[in-house]
Amino acid sequence: MHARWLIPIGVGAAQAAHVAHATQYMTVEQAQRAAFPQATTFEMTRADLHALALDAPAGWSPRIWQARNGNQLLGWFFADAVIGKSEAIDYALALDANGSVIALEVLQYRESHGSEVRLAPWRKQFVGKTIRDPVALNQDIKNISGATLSCRHLTEGVQRLLKLHAHALLTAPA
Amino acid sequence: MQRNFASRAIDIAFAEIAQIHRLMSFHEPGSDLSRLHRARTGAWVSVDARTREVLAYALRVARESNGCFDPTVAAEQVASGYLPEPHSAFVPDSNASWRDIELNDDGVRLCKPLWIDLGGIAKGYAVDRAVEILLETGAPQTCVNAGGDLRIAGPRAECVHVRDASGAIAAAVELGDAAIASSTSVPAHATAAHRDGENKQPIEGGVTASVIAANCMTADALTKVVLARGAASARTLAAFGAQASVHDLRSVRGTFGVAA
Repeated sequence: MHARWLIPIGVGAAQAAHVAHATQYMTVEQAQRAAFPQATTFEMTRADLHALALDAPAGWSPRIWQARNGNQLLGWFFADAVIGKSEAIDYALALDANGSVIALEVLQYRESHGSEVRLAPWRKQFVGKTIRDPVALNQDIKNISGATLSCRHLTEGVQRLLKLHAHALLTAPA
Repeated sequence: MQRNFASRAIDIAFAEIAQIHRLMSFHEPGSDLSRLHRARTGAWVSVDARTREVLAYALRVARESNGCFDPTVAAEQVASGYLPEPHSAFVPDSNASWRDIELNDDGVRLCKPLWIDLGGIAKGYAVDRAVEILLETGAPQTCVNAGGDLRIAGPRAECVHVRDASGAIAAAVELGDAAIASSTSVPAHATAAHRDGENKQPIEGGVTASVIAANCMTADALTKVVLARGAASARTLAAFGAQASVHDLRSVRGTFGVAA
């Protein structure tokens, strides 16, 4: 008999050895197609990150695309990375044209613990969030015990991208 | 060829499930339980080996849970309208309990007038029998899911999501060669679905208990103990090598009874 609680991690549960080193779950292109199936182009965009004075870690450099169907703006796609516990988690965030979250995907996970953040039920909590929501752990985003650092840093990453979008992209000429 | 083979095995498994239902149904007049309820109190009644096996296991769960699991709460379930009134030779004794059921090699007798309901355990047994049949026919990987009571057998582990009473996913668990069953207690205004065998009171509502065990009969029966007892069921869970998670509509209340 083998049983391992993923959400929630069982209190006092025997922790099975996680072997999830550097697992790539999705490429950027796959995540783009999944979030915007109707898009005909993904146009890479730049934003002046330094002008925003967001409380971002050194070296923060998200890649940004506009998802378009011909001339119509469908939304925005970000590929970013945060540190989980000690290794980077590559993730992607898709926002619709109004800035609410369509999808959060974990693209690559390198750590041995905390990979529960890639489970769909946890990620789905972000769907529909906007800059007007707290997007904060233990407020409107539930923590996963045993994966707290991954949850916290990924949640902060999403919050940062929502700010970036609201302040630097939403007003930009489409 | 392969497909024919698999579909034949599945047909046999379904037929076994139907047979278990016929044997252990509370209300079908031809079931083993109906024959027991029509018989004179104290008389030995010969039953199918499968009915005997489930009864023996039900008594073991009753013993290990100090009577919290009790297949004789049927009289109260009938009184509250949750079960239909059976054709019976007697009126059940309100002091009767699981201790008044005796088994011998091929039969059962009721030492006091009582009604037996195997609704809390027979579904899990049906899942186990279906899994065993599929494995015997050579299926390398099997999953039998009877509306949430499910068992996975084979080398591949699978992820199972547990939903709360509203249908939202409350928990996820990776299972291999194991069974999981969930029971939800209904709100107090609805008809009582589960009843505590010790005080015969309905279990209060809105809580879901999921139990993981080596087989589905164990998981099915123990969900009722966990619903009634919460964390105090840990000792009973340990006796069966089982573990449980309990959640309500707002949050996970706890995960306990994890076998070492």
